Amino acid sequence: MYYYLRLTALFFVLALFCVVYPQKVYAYLDPGTGSYILQLIIAAFFGVGFAVKVYWKKIKSFFHSHFSKTHQDMKK
Amino acid sequence: MMADGILPSSFRDPSGFLFFQKGTLYRQVNMGYKDNYECLVNSGLYNALIRDNLLISHEEVDIEPAGSADVYKIIRPELIPFISYPYEWCFSQLQDAALTTLKIQKKSLDFGMSLKDCSAYNIQFKRGRPIFIDTLSFEKYHEGKPWDAYRQFCQHFLAPLTLMSYTDIRLNQLARIFIDGVPLDLTSILLPFRTHLRIALLLHIHIHAKSQKYFADKTMNVRNRNGRKMTRHSFLGLINNLESIIEKLKWRIQSSEWANYYEDINYSSQAFQHKKQIVNNFLDSVGPKVVWDLGANVGLFSRIASNKGIETISLDIDPVAVEKNYLDCIKSGESKILPLLVDLTNPSSGIGWENQERMSLIDRGPADAVLALALIHHLAISNNVPLSKIANFLSKISHWLIIEFIPKSDSQVQKLLSTREDIFPDYTQQAFESNFSEIFTIQSAVKIGNSERTLYLMCRKHD
Repeated sequence: MYYYLRLTALFFVLALFCVVYPQKVYAYLDPGTGSYILQLIIAAFFGVGFAVKVYWKKIKSFFHSHFSKTHQDMKK
Repeated sequence: MMADGILPSSFRDPSGFLFFQKGTLYRQVNMGYKDNYECLVNSGLYNALIRDNLLISHEEVDIEPAGSADVYKIIRPELIPFISYPYEWCFSQLQDAALTTLKIQKKSLDFGMSLKDCSAYNIQFKRGRPIFIDTLSFEKYHEGKPWDAYRQFCQHFLAPLTLMSYTDIRLNQLARIFIDGVPLDLTSILLPFRTHLRIALLLHIHIHAKSQKYFADKTMNVRNRNGRKMTRHSFLGLINNLESIIEKLKWRIQSSEWANYYEDINYSSQAFQHKKQIVNNFLDSVGPKVVWDLGANVGLFSRIASNKGIETISLDIDPVAVEKNYLDCIKSGESKILPLLVDLTNPSSGIGWENQERMSLIDRGPADAVLALALIHHLAISNNVPLSKIANFLSKISHWLIIEFIPKSDSQVQKLLSTREDIFPDYTQQAFESNFSEIFTIQSAVKIGNSERTLYLMCRKHD
């Protein structure tokens, strides 16, 4: 399990160097390099989930309004 | 009352600072914060936060600045009746403070702003609910910019909450040692292994700690400023995930010696009612605005004061009792009572820079009146504190004192003495009265019917 953890950590470090080009930080609070970089990776991960949720809602509401409209037209 | 001048805790943020002038608290907004301040007010965020009771209100005033030439505006913030700190909060108080912070961050994003810091000290309790007190913590949100306060949020909120939930409730006391939040590497060591199996905790705590360690001696690459950014969706995904983990954290309340105290009292319900009546009468005769109830347990006697509209601080050493007290406040929507976790044998001291950033308990007093009911025998017998020292401490934190003396013959005192040698020949009612009379004037002494206990109303001799 220990190796699993070390591998996971290593994966993130590699992912970081492959993907991230950090920008300069202007803040009175030091965000901490490790926290800053990890945040970009985690946020990308959760961002996908968030986007899927948002668009899924949009798709659902589109079909809902579309079908209810068709249904009403058929009734007429 | 605080002395005039800049508050010792207000020096880190270059956006401005808090100061007292003629006994009134003001906040200076520096020129460097002008754009952000205007954005906060003009974007509608300020009004939205005030409407939802998430931020303290303020008024812009026209007074002399406190010395700095960099002044843009002076504002007078609404006052918080009692300043409390995260190491004095129970689990649910810290959890509510964390969720309030995230709610504010989400709302800020809706209005094109973001929190630039996430210190737990920016939250206070007003009318029983958490509220944000730092008007200068908001900055304009630039699409793509990550959250500068992410590390601070994890250290100030997520780490202590997770430790309290998974390891031991007493670990909130780590906040007393680590003023900028509990270090994540320490959190990672102290958490049980099963927290690795929860993806959110694995990422925000364990891998976060490893990432901090890995990059500790590396500087950030500034060559490519147009590098990969954090999209708005990613930002919201991160905040929502933090919100979801914190909402799911639970602390299963264990039974404790104190939380079931009232089910195990040794006197009749008649005596109990009489005691309540005497406390009620004493409070009516004194008319305090602020009461501290020491050793308040779940706040039964605190409520005699708070139900009269008195600002009541309900202090106890037991995390279970404080948690129950707070949950009761939430359930019944009480606004005048603030339960806090304080060990009177080691009350919160002044901590931080020059020992002045966070005030000691004594510095936050004195209260108009203190309730010390069924307390003195614990201090004198369980903790070997001489009666003269107890009187001295109580005189530092109160003008009026409502105190109960429980003699040695009482079964609760006998219980304390059952496991130890009685080395307290001076623990007598006569010695109690003579020690307290040196500092207090005894105004009234009423024996509680059907018991051996006596309730005293005392007034501090020298103000």
